[in-house]
Amino acid sequence: MRSLVALKILLHDKATTIGSLIGVIAIVFLVGQQLSVLFGLFSYMSVLVDHSGADIWICTKNTVNINSTGLLPVSYVDRVSALPEVDWAEPLLFGSGTFKTTNDNFEAVQIVGLRTPKLVPGPWRFYAGSQNSLLEYEAATVERLDFNKFGDIKLNEFYEINDTRVRIAAITQSIKGFSGRLVFTNLAKAKEILKTTPGRCKAILLKLKTSAEPEAALERIKKLLPKAEVLATSELSRKTRSYYVVNTGMGGSFGFSTMVGAFIGIIIITLTMYTAVLQRQKDFAVLRALGARKIDIVVIVLVQSLIIAVIGIFIGFFLLALFLNGTHDSALPTYFPRWMSPLLAVFTLALCVCGSLLAMRKAISVEPASIFR
Amino acid sequence: MITEPILQLSGVARDFFDGKTQRRVLQKIDLAISPGEFTIVAGPSGSGKTTLLTIMGLILKPSEGDVFIRSEKVTGYPESKMASIRLQHYGFVFQLAELLPALSVFDNVVVANGIQGKSISSALKKKAKDLLESFGLQNMFHAKPLQLSGGEKQRVAIARALINDPTVLLCDEPTSALDAESSTIVMDSLKRLSQDNTRGIIMVTHDPRVFPYADRLIKLENGAIASDSKSSS
Ligand SMILES: Nc1ncnc2c1ncn2[C@@H]1O[C@H](COP(=O)(O)OP(=O)(O)O)[C@@H](O)[C@H]1O
Ligand SMILES: [Mg+2]
Repeated sequence: MRSLVALKILLHDKATTIGSLIGVIAIVFLVGQQLSVLFGLFSYMSVLVDHSGADIWICTKNTVNINSTGLLPVSYVDRVSALPEVDWAEPLLFGSGTFKTTNDNFEAVQIVGLRTPKLVPGPWRFYAGSQNSLLEYEAATVERLDFNKFGDIKLNEFYEINDTRVRIAAITQSIKGFSGRLVFTNLAKAKEILKTTPGRCKAILLKLKTSAEPEAALERIKKLLPKAEVLATSELSRKTRSYYVVNTGMGGSFGFSTMVGAFIGIIIITLTMYTAVLQRQKDFAVLRALGARKIDIVVIVLVQSLIIAVIGIFIGFFLLALFLNGTHDSALPTYFPRWMSPLLAVFTLALCVCGSLLAMRKAISVEPASIFR
Repeated sequence: MITEPILQLSGVARDFFDGKTQRRVLQKIDLAISPGEFTIVAGPSGSGKTTLLTIMGLILKPSEGDVFIRSEKVTGYPESKMASIRLQHYGFVFQLAELLPALSVFDNVVVANGIQGKSISSALKKKAKDLLESFGLQNMFHAKPLQLSGGEKQRVAIARALINDPTVLLCDEPTSALDAESSTIVMDSLKRLSQDNTRGIIMVTHDPRVFPYADRLIKLENGAIASDSKSSS
C-alpha cells in the first residue's frame, strides 16, 4: 500500500513528476552522450588494433601507444612465422600523408599498408569495392564520410597522396581513425607514399594457432625478439587508450562535462522532488496523524524516487540509443561500450536517491500537529 | 457499574514558546473518558481545545503530566510506537476532511492500514465498503476527493476514522466548515456511533448549536476546565 500511495501521488502531481523525470533523462542522456563521444574518440586511437584479428602485436621496444611507434625489421616476420604456435604473421605499415583533394587543397589521412594477399587488418566495412580491390598495384581506399572534404571522388580515378599516384579502388564505410581518416593500400604502395626505409615495417601482427597456449606463446616470442615490444592485442589497445586519457587532458575535460551533466540532473531532481513534497506536506501530516511512522514516510519518498529513476532511465537509454544509431554513420565519434550501460543505470539510480534526500528530510519533518492549525 | 476509563489524563499541562516567553496554554488537567460517552469540549477560540485534543491523540507531547490508554501509560513512548497506537486505537476527524487528493474515496478509507507496509485484507475492504455505504456513499468509491462536496468529504473522513474500530474517536470542529444540513448529518452519524459501548467520542467545538448532542460537556477557559457536566438523559 505504501508503494501504491507513492505511485498514486506521483500520478496525481503530474507536473513535478514530469520535472523529476526530465532530470533523470537529462542525466542518462547527457552523461551517456558525453561518454559515448569520449569512448568514440578512444576507439579511433586504437581502431587498427581493435580490428586486427591478431592475437599479438610486435612493435618497437617500449611502445605505449600504437600511433607513436618506430620501425621494425620485416625479417622478424619470418622468424616468428617459423614458430609452431604461430598461424600467421603479417607486417603492417602506417603513417600520415596528405591527400590532394579535387578542390586542390590537402587533407590529412592515415596510410595503412597491408601485405598481399592476406591484407590484415583489411578494411572491415565497404561502401563500394572489396578487399580484393587492394591486391592491385596503386589501389587504395577512401572513406565515404570524407567525401565532402575530399571533393568529387570517383571510383577507379587517380588521385595523389604525398605526390604519389593512387587509384581509388574501393570505398570504406564509417571506418574512423584518429588523425585523419584511414586510407588502406597494399604494402608496396604504402612504402612508396611514406618513403619508408626498405626492409622495415611499423608493426607485425600475429595470429596464434587455436591449439597454442597464448600466455606461453607470448613469453616465447618475447624471448625470441628481445629488442622488440611483444604485446597481446588487448594490452596494446588498453595502453594506447590510456595514453591518450592521461596525456591529452581529454579524459579530464570529458570527465568535467560528464559531471556537469550529472550535476544539472541531480539539481533538477532535487528541486522538483522537494517541490512535490512541499505541495504534499499536508498529506504527509495526515498520514502521520493516522499512524504512519517516519520510516513509512521515508519509504514513500524513496519509492517515488525509484519509480522516477527507473522510468527516466528507460526513456534516457531509449533516447541514447536513438542518438547512437543516428550518429553511427556520421563523422561524430560515438561508441558506447556494453559494460557502460549497467554502470550508467546504477549511477543514475544513485543520483536519484541522492536527489530525493532533501525531499525526504522535508517530508519527515512535517509535524502531524500541523493539520490541526 | 463502574467501567474502566478508555483514556485518562493526569496533571497534563502544555507550554508553548511564542518568541521569547514561555506561555502555559493548558493548565494541569485531570480527565477520564469512559466508553460509550459522547464528550464535547467547548470553549472560546484560543482556549486550548485543539491543544488538549492533540495531546489526547498522542500527536502533541504534554509538557507535564501523563496520558493513559486503558490504564497503560503511554507518555514517553518513542515516536514510532505512538504512531502504531494511533493506528490501532484512534480515529481522527479534522476540521476540513483532509483526504488525500491523489487517492480515491475507497483508498482514502483504507490507506492508514497499509501505511506501515501491510497489504489490505479483503475483510478490511469489505468493511470499508460497508462503512461507505452506511454513510450513503455507495456510488462514490472510485471518485476523487475533488469531486465531492464538503459534507461528503467529511463523511468519507469519518469512515476513514472508523475503519479500525478505534477506542477513541477524536474530532476537531468537524462541522465548522459545513452547512447546516451536512452538519446535522455528520452530528447524527457521530451520535449514532457514540452509542457503541466500547468507544468514546471526543469532539471539540465552539458551536453551541451542537451541545445538545453531548452526553458530557466540558467547557475550557484559558486552558483550564471551567465546567464539566453530564447530561441526565
Ligand atoms: N504550536 C504552537 N506554538 C505556539 N503557540 C501555540 C501553538 N499551538 C497553539 N498555540 C497557542 O495556544 C493557545 C491555544 O490554542 P488552541 O489549542 O489551538 O486553541 P483552540 O483550539 O481552543 O482555539 C492559542 O493561544 C495558540 O496561539
Ligand atoms: Mg482549535
